[in-house]
Amino acid sequence: MICSTSFSWARSLALLAVFALLGGCAAVSASGRAIAEVDRPRPKIAVFPVQNLSGGVAPLEEIRAALVGFLEADCGEVVGEKELQAVMAAERVRNVGGITGPLAMKMREATGADSVLITSLELYNEQFPPKIALLARLVSLTDPPAILWMDSVGLAGDEAPGILGLGLIRQPDQLRDKALRTLVGSLKAHLTGEKGSLEAARKFQPKMAYGIVSLGAEKKYRIAVTPFFNFSDRKYAGEIMALHFVDALQKFDNIEVIEPGIVLEEMLRFRIIMEDGFSKPAAGNLFVTLEPDFIFSGKVFDYLDYTGEWGVPVVDFSTEMIDGKNRQVVWTSKSYNAGSDGVFFFDWGRVTTARAMAAGMAQAISGLIAQ
Amino acid sequence: MRLVKIVLLVSLVVALPACSKMITPYHDQNMDFSGIETVAVLPFANLSGQRNVEGRVRDVFMNMFIATGGVYVLPAGEVARGISRIQIVEPTAPSVEEIQKLGEVLHADAVITGMLKEYGEVRSGTAASNVISLSLQMIEVKSGKVIWTGNSTKGGISVKDRLLGGGGQPMNQITEEAVSDLLHQLFLG
Repeated sequence: MICSTSFSWARSLALLAVFALLGGCAAVSASGRAIAEVDRPRPKIAVFPVQNLSGGVAPLEEIRAALVGFLEADCGEVVGEKELQAVMAAERVRNVGGITGPLAMKMREATGADSVLITSLELYNEQFPPKIALLARLVSLTDPPAILWMDSVGLAGDEAPGILGLGLIRQPDQLRDKALRTLVGSLKAHLTGEKGSLEAARKFQPKMAYGIVSLGAEKKYRIAVTPFFNFSDRKYAGEIMALHFVDALQKFDNIEVIEPGIVLEEMLRFRIIMEDGFSKPAAGNLFVTLEPDFIFSGKVFDYLDYTGEWGVPVVDFSTEMIDGKNRQVVWTSKSYNAGSDGVFFFDWGRVTTARAMAAGMAQAISGLIAQ
Repeated sequence: MRLVKIVLLVSLVVALPACSKMITPYHDQNMDFSGIETVAVLPFANLSGQRNVEGRVRDVFMNMFIATGGVYVLPAGEVARGISRIQIVEPTAPSVEEIQKLGEVLHADAVITGMLKEYGEVRSGTAASNVISLSLQMIEVKSGKVIWTGNSTKGGISVKDRLLGGGGQPMNQITEEAVSDLLHQLFLG
């Protein structure tokens, strides 16, 4: 008995020593990172007003103000509100969901910023449990503008209730700040050179996929992602789905996604109205002006988020990709998932927002296309 | 005597399905299907009573059809352009002349029209399940003749649904099963 006690004491001491050493390693690593951050020049970022794709009323200015606060603390200098408004008024900027080459150059000259942060609000619900979903991308202020970073976040207040509901988030502001911190954390990680995961959960793989194209690693393929044709009841589902694909595709090294603001500008210039999808002449116009290797489009049939505690989000869409060489469809897929897919015990693995599923499904398809 | 009765009853149950009428798919025996390379799938007619579901079924069919690798299926946007260009009054049931004009505009060898007869939930007593019933026909552009017809019904209330409940299979799943059945009828007769 005595022997056993002394052995457990020795084991505890050894464990403590290991933890102490591990802590020491972390401290060294953190201080190393801190030095690297000091050396790296802090970028100057212009933050566009938040684009509202939620289909409802949302405190956009408050979200932007909170985002600016987190950015200034973690990532770099942010262009002042008055300075940005002056440029936007002078250039008569109406679309805050994208940027074109000439506007990017004028913004750079007027504000001295290197890049612009374009944020889209996908979902905002204050009713318990509160829900929020955001997409954000950092675009260079160059002509043509290039997507430097993109990510999305979607949270629900009851996502991780924990024991006795201690993990529930009841205040929308608290959830908003958590979501914004996640986004800014991702941007900060990108600025420090970290790379995110390209893996998608198995349940998000497309139910059916057909492709006669293989993208090699030796070349960077230009892809124009156009808004999806919306058959669903959710307003802006086509735009949201397209943004998830922009996010997913741009993560691959062999793919360059054309800034959606430029694509939209060209579609408006040619007065392209999609009837059931892309026609050959409509695609032809984009191929001539934007010179992409592929045009990526699709149809959304369901993009459903639920309100309140009980419900299941549903996402159902199909995609198609047209090749610039022969103007033929070289990729099609069909995906559908519900938030309860693969859930068997105690809501373990339940997905609470359509954003989480859409992002996973887009990631899975992009992985198949890119590799 | 009792054994004879049981045997007769079992034989009756076994023989009953023979009385059911099964609609067989039609293939034009004189048609060389290998000559069909490009196909335009027109919007399906919707008799189901559910709004906008024909687009979903058409999309699944187009995706699965192109995925066979046997033919090139024109994108829906291109078909819509053709329809508006030659001003087809009723795209779900075009005339022979309209099909021939559409084929010329789109450079398609054949056109597929379809009819969605049932889609959604069916109820019988306390049991409920999903059902789909779809019929398609392929028309050759050159001759304007119907060269293939097929139909499929999937889902519905099974004995299991009646006994255990559960609501049957999801709509997407039975749609894929029905389309897969139709493609099987088209390619394998």
